[in-house]
Amino acid sequence: MDRDGVFEKRVTRSKALKVAAAASGAALLAGRGAAAEAAQFQLDAESGRLQVLDWAGYGNDGGQPMFAAYVKAHPNNKPQFTYMTNEADALAKLHAGLKPDLFRPYVGWVKYFATSGLVQPWDTSKISNFKHLNPFMIKAGQYGGKQYGIPEDWGFDAVLYRSDKVKPKAKSWGLLYDERYKGKIAWFDDPVENLTIAGLIFGFKDPWNQTDAELKQSQQFLISKKHLVRTIWSSETDLWQLFGSGDVWIALAWPNDWVQMKKKGLPVVYMHPSVGKQKPIAWVGMFMLLNGTPRPNLAHAYVDAWSSAKSGKWLEDNYGYGHSNTLARPSSSDLLRALQLTNPHAVGLPNAYLDRDVPRRAVYAKLWEEVKAA
Amino acid sequence: MGGGEGRLTAGRRARPDLTTPGLLAPPLAWLAIFFLVPIGIVALYSVNVLDLLPEPHAFTWSAWHSFFSNSIYLTLFWKSVKMSLIVSALVVAVAYPLAYYLALSGTPRKYVLLLVLIAPFLTSYLLRVLAWKVILGDQGVVNTFLFWTGIRSAGHPISALLYSRFAVMLVLGYVWLPFVALPIFVSLESLDTRLLEAASDLGASRWQTFRRVTLPLSIPGVIAAFLFVFIPTVGEFITPSLVGGASGYMYGNQIVDLFGTGFPDWETGSVLSLFLLGVVAALTVVFSRFMRVR
Repeated sequence: MDRDGVFEKRVTRSKALKVAAAASGAALLAGRGAAAEAAQFQLDAESGRLQVLDWAGYGNDGGQPMFAAYVKAHPNNKPQFTYMTNEADALAKLHAGLKPDLFRPYVGWVKYFATSGLVQPWDTSKISNFKHLNPFMIKAGQYGGKQYGIPEDWGFDAVLYRSDKVKPKAKSWGLLYDERYKGKIAWFDDPVENLTIAGLIFGFKDPWNQTDAELKQSQQFLISKKHLVRTIWSSETDLWQLFGSGDVWIALAWPNDWVQMKKKGLPVVYMHPSVGKQKPIAWVGMFMLLNGTPRPNLAHAYVDAWSSAKSGKWLEDNYGYGHSNTLARPSSSDLLRALQLTNPHAVGLPNAYLDRDVPRRAVYAKLWEEVKAA
Repeated sequence: MGGGEGRLTAGRRARPDLTTPGLLAPPLAWLAIFFLVPIGIVALYSVNVLDLLPEPHAFTWSAWHSFFSNSIYLTLFWKSVKMSLIVSALVVAVAYPLAYYLALSGTPRKYVLLLVLIAPFLTSYLLRVLAWKVILGDQGVVNTFLFWTGIRSAGHPISALLYSRFAVMLVLGYVWLPFVALPIFVSLESLDTRLLEAASDLGASRWQTFRRVTLPLSIPGVIAAFLFVFIPTVGEFITPSLVGGASGYMYGNQIVDLFGTGFPDWETGSVLSLFLLGVVAALTVVFSRFMRVR
């Protein structure tokens, strides 16, 4: 623990004694004021720094405005971050003994974590901004009628391409497998996404839950097209460098990548596939509360700060992602259009397929690893 | 030996000498705790006795069985071995004349030149690898030069320079060259030069002296140098992940991905790791036979 952490812990311990004494008196009081005070006491009673397991860019490495309100209200319980590279990495860290108070998987993992015993539902009454969050996304964060995920950032997986170099035959995911652009295509390193997209192209009944035969067909398709791929990206900065240097013209990308490439002056189009049943795939980041956390109220306060319209606008303006707060609007009209922020069902049908639970995620992952190895 | 010395020796014998065990204990303990025990744990993961996820699990060889029955992993391993062998052989071939010059030319500045050789290590490994992206990219130094000279037209860069097996092997060769030169240099520098003089006195030409005296005596250094490159590069994952692209993907990348990228599959990841360890250990044993000076 660093010096700040030790100091904060000492302060909060002494404070906790005062709080305990005051809480006895507070119990005698009645009315809403007393309830609010009691809630504050609960918050004050939680000690130490809030432990957050989150993605790079969302911590003290640039994401500070998103939780500035929390830090201001709880200067003695500043968040301390551990970074996750993906949900599988988070899962490994949790099972290896890491004990964060909250973390952020994406919507497709809500059911998995809700049934894993690792997380507990949120008390939404403690999140004042909850009422402003997109109801469609709120529902996506529920499992068994309980709110396991609080939606925050969101966006799409779609196809980004250089309009001066690439002439798509149709608005299709097929552009990622177009023989004409051999060596100029980048796929995204995701164990589920690529097989799902192949399933969308083949028109399978449920691309997220393909049969063994369908999965085999999807895998063989990807292996047969792999020679077209220059690289498989896993970080956005890599993708920007690939596009900026001209090494790649076509990629699976997120809205922010389109915004960043436009800022660089590159002629780029962010294409939402719409041929047949094809659509973009939407994702929503979901804060989840760990079971047995000693700081549940601080975690709620942290999520509340992230959920404000002010934080939402900052996220949209600076990161190019959508935010679940329906009052948040970006300064850029381009981004407003790309994210379709005026559409409350932007992440759902008929606009996009919202990413979802994959019952056989381990099988998908194994097959994808074999594609990369082939 | 006098009587006094005899008593002294007997006294020494009576008291157990703890120097050797005392000196050996810390490194052996270190090896046991941070090498043997982790390997044991990995072995337990590979047979599902240990499992990351709290699911019912029991001893099984299934991951080993699917590894040997799935040609994809073995093909990838063979691809990595081939890449590593090519890099190791080429780098040794390039480093040998360099080390030969430094060790045997009699230049008074050999240690200065050696320092120059290892100077790139003063900069970060990542930075050196990333610099190759600037050099090899479609708009990089090499392609821009080719456009400028007219050898290639502007819209047709040589794309295979970057995000390819070639790029991985080039960068690995560049990175490991100084490591290879050092053991060969040490081996050549410790050569008894009187043997070279004797060969010359007996009428051997410079080429014959090199072939019959210098090269055989420097073989242990060459083998050591070869292993210095081969062992780490066969399991390499950073360089291919930076400049390898889809086609330069190596066995080490697969291990990393199985442990952390998709859905954690520590069982298969452990199998791949142990297989790599086993092959490298076997090769080291085989090569070490050639490292004995005859």
